[in-house]
Amino acid sequence: MSIVLFVGIVEVMTLISVRNLTKSYRIAKKSPGLVGTIKHLVARKTIVIEAVKSLDFQIEQGEIVGFIGPNGAGKTTTLKMLCGLIHPTGGDVLVGGFEPRLRDTEFLHKIALIMGQKQQLIWDLPPIDTLKVNAAVYGLSNSEANRRIKELGDMLQLEEELTRPVRKLSLGERMKAELLASLLHRPSILFLDEPTLGLDLNAQIRVREFLINYNKIYGATILLSSHYMSDITSLCSRVLVIDKGTIYYDGSLEDLTRRLSPYRGVKIKFSKPYLKNEFTGFGQVIEYSEYFAQILIKRSELTSKLYQLLKSFSVIDLEVSDPPIEELIGEFYQEIKTS
Amino acid sequence: MTIKKRISYIFKVTYSLLTSQYALMLEYRAEIALWAISGLLPLIMLSLWLEVEPDKSQLLENTNLYRYFISAFLVRQFTAVWVMVSFEQDHIEGKLSTLLLQPITPFWRYISSHMAEQISRLPFVFVILSIIFIFVPNSLWWPGYQDLLLGFIAIFFAFLVRFLLHWICAMLCFWNERASSIERLLLIPYLFLSGLVAPLDKYPDLVKDIALATPFPYILSFPSMILSRSEVDILNGFLFQLGWIVVLSLLSLFAWKMGVRKYSAMGA
Amino acid sequence: MIKSISIIFRTLRIFWATSLAGEVEYRLNLFVECFSVIGNLSGSLFVLYMFYSNGKYLGGWNWNSSLVVLGFYYLLEGFTIILLQPNLTRIVRHIQQGSLDFILLKPIDSQFWLSSRMISPWGIPSLLAGLILIARGIYMSVHTMSISSILAALTMLISSLAILYSLWFLIATTSIWFVKIWNANEVLRSVLVAGRYPISAYPEVVRAIFTFILPVAFLTTIPAETLLGKSYISWMSSSIMIALILFLTSRAFWKYALRFYTSASS
Repeated sequence: MSIVLFVGIVEVMTLISVRNLTKSYRIAKKSPGLVGTIKHLVARKTIVIEAVKSLDFQIEQGEIVGFIGPNGAGKTTTLKMLCGLIHPTGGDVLVGGFEPRLRDTEFLHKIALIMGQKQQLIWDLPPIDTLKVNAAVYGLSNSEANRRIKELGDMLQLEEELTRPVRKLSLGERMKAELLASLLHRPSILFLDEPTLGLDLNAQIRVREFLINYNKIYGATILLSSHYMSDITSLCSRVLVIDKGTIYYDGSLEDLTRRLSPYRGVKIKFSKPYLKNEFTGFGQVIEYSEYFAQILIKRSELTSKLYQLLKSFSVIDLEVSDPPIEELIGEFYQEIKTS
Repeated sequence: MTIKKRISYIFKVTYSLLTSQYALMLEYRAEIALWAISGLLPLIMLSLWLEVEPDKSQLLENTNLYRYFISAFLVRQFTAVWVMVSFEQDHIEGKLSTLLLQPITPFWRYISSHMAEQISRLPFVFVILSIIFIFVPNSLWWPGYQDLLLGFIAIFFAFLVRFLLHWICAMLCFWNERASSIERLLLIPYLFLSGLVAPLDKYPDLVKDIALATPFPYILSFPSMILSRSEVDILNGFLFQLGWIVVLSLLSLFAWKMGVRKYSAMGA
Repeated sequence: MIKSISIIFRTLRIFWATSLAGEVEYRLNLFVECFSVIGNLSGSLFVLYMFYSNGKYLGGWNWNSSLVVLGFYYLLEGFTIILLQPNLTRIVRHIQQGSLDFILLKPIDSQFWLSSRMISPWGIPSLLAGLILIARGIYMSVHTMSISSILAALTMLISSLAILYSLWFLIATTSIWFVKIWNANEVLRSVLVAGRYPISAYPEVVRAIFTFILPVAFLTTIPAETLLGKSYISWMSSSIMIALILFLTSRAFWKYALRFYTSASS
């Protein structure tokens, strides 16, 4: 009995490469009043909105990369350009050796896009019907399709749910069925746009575990955007921070934390109530109740601020820690904005 | 000074109303273009009848046909009703529950949206009419102020009759989710009994009598005949329109009550 | 090549199985469609009767041969209800809600998917009505029917279906720019209505419009003429030409429109 280990011969290679990618939309602008309306009719004035300006990054095979940034940062637009749904205004994109915009059949067999707020499942019918449709479209034989449905269904812990009408499924079950439908053709490149949106904690964890497994078993490359930092921390070894269509950070999550860690979280318990604005001079108050506060304090000022705190308030308990990642990222966004 | 102020005020209001309506129309220009083609049925029928007339030298007959069908076109534009589709949609999407919570009966919301849409159609109807009159200048006529006024009142009543009819059928949504397919059934008597495909005078007497016993001629034929200055018993027509409005209003109140009861029983 | 054709057939089978499964739940529709066809048919026959009560001919067509035209109208109406209408409403919804994304990412022609995804059985009454009218009209007017004219008429029917489909898809495509075109169905229907009567029954100007701008003439009149053995080869070949041109235009226009698809932003 011989077992061939493919893992050993997988070379590290660039799977997604993006150079100078830009996307700008033209939006018609109309000034009010009759004159404006007629002008609008005759000669439209358009303004150009740059959703993505000059992105550069590369992703290797098998990586799980997190794509984060505030709303309207250009994440979804970028993901859709990588899938070939939106045509770039300029720059080069190469995904798995293909130019996505051309939507080559072979390319489409390789990728999947999963969106948290859009669904492909047929609403009135059980998920199994959508799966059958997808199997036919991707040219899978019945036996092969059934085998994959079983396999992925086991990984996702989906069984009888597949034969219940979609409208009767819970949000979490629906997302899992959605994943199954999108991955039936076993894509090697996954784009996920907010895959855990609106899911409860349990379902979020399930989805994450599944993605990690899928990545391990099939060696798939995953690029995901999410608002939940826990998605990023538990899945991604590398993050891209994007805002206003520009990349502000590309690297490991730990490095980012370290870079942002001039701030430290200070949790304080008091013996008597204080007003929130009494802490304004110390740093950003991220948690507050009458007898408790958590403040982000710059590391360089930590000792002096702590001394002042102890002096001016009646402190019972004090704890210094790294602040939660959400707050750090929030701070980072603020910094980007002001810079 | 005050008169001057008043005039400038009226001018301002009219101006801003007109421009905002026009802007709205531009937003829906694709809709309007499509709708224009779909409203042309009376003109298609007109061209058929013109060819069918055995003696084409019958100028008088032809002028009457022109006037009748052009009026019918006009009337149809201002009696368009789609309440069944939008009511069904609101019902399925669950928007109805929110509408029911508001202190105004949803009926007024739907009817006002229809009327607002009619206003935005006005300029477009003018464009189509002027195209017709430019190419067939003989067909241009002036109905006179009195008939014009009466005609517009009749159009408004016709709209009310048609709207109420559709509203009552829309209430069926409370019992069957896909009730809007009933609209297809409602369209048939509208097509063949309202005078849309032919002036009622051309109908055999029996069919004409049957048609006149239904509300449909009062939705289209009656106002068209006033506008085209055909021979028509105006008083009688208005009485019938009002009669139908009263009967259908009562029916629709009843249907609404029953429907809401059913809706609340099911757990909205 | 063979593989992709077999994929298309398998996909079609599954498309139609799933959409029929959803459709059969609404039995009210069967009732509505049957009544609507009966009502509509008697109405149309009544109008036709009124035309003929004035003279013996309508644009040079006698009663029985214009029944054939009406029959072809009902065949097209049935085709519209079965395939065009259910899919059109979905195309608009796909674009509105952005679920077109999923279709574009499938390794299958998106126009094929969008045009064939849904099927509705409720057009069958119209199809039956059309067949009965054609049979009756033919039986009463022509006594012998050659195989070649039947084949020719079938070809004309296919090309008229292609014309109707292409026009319909062109309208549907515009929803990439104008998202709100729910009354496009009405447009299609009302264009078709003009096809209830032979094209020669219209005044010259209207006839020209219905031949060169909105090709209504090719939808019903030409197939009927062909079946009755009255058509000229020039008309038949132009029908095929127009069908081909319109079909290719609809494909090119869809490809072009997709460049402007911005995918309903989240």
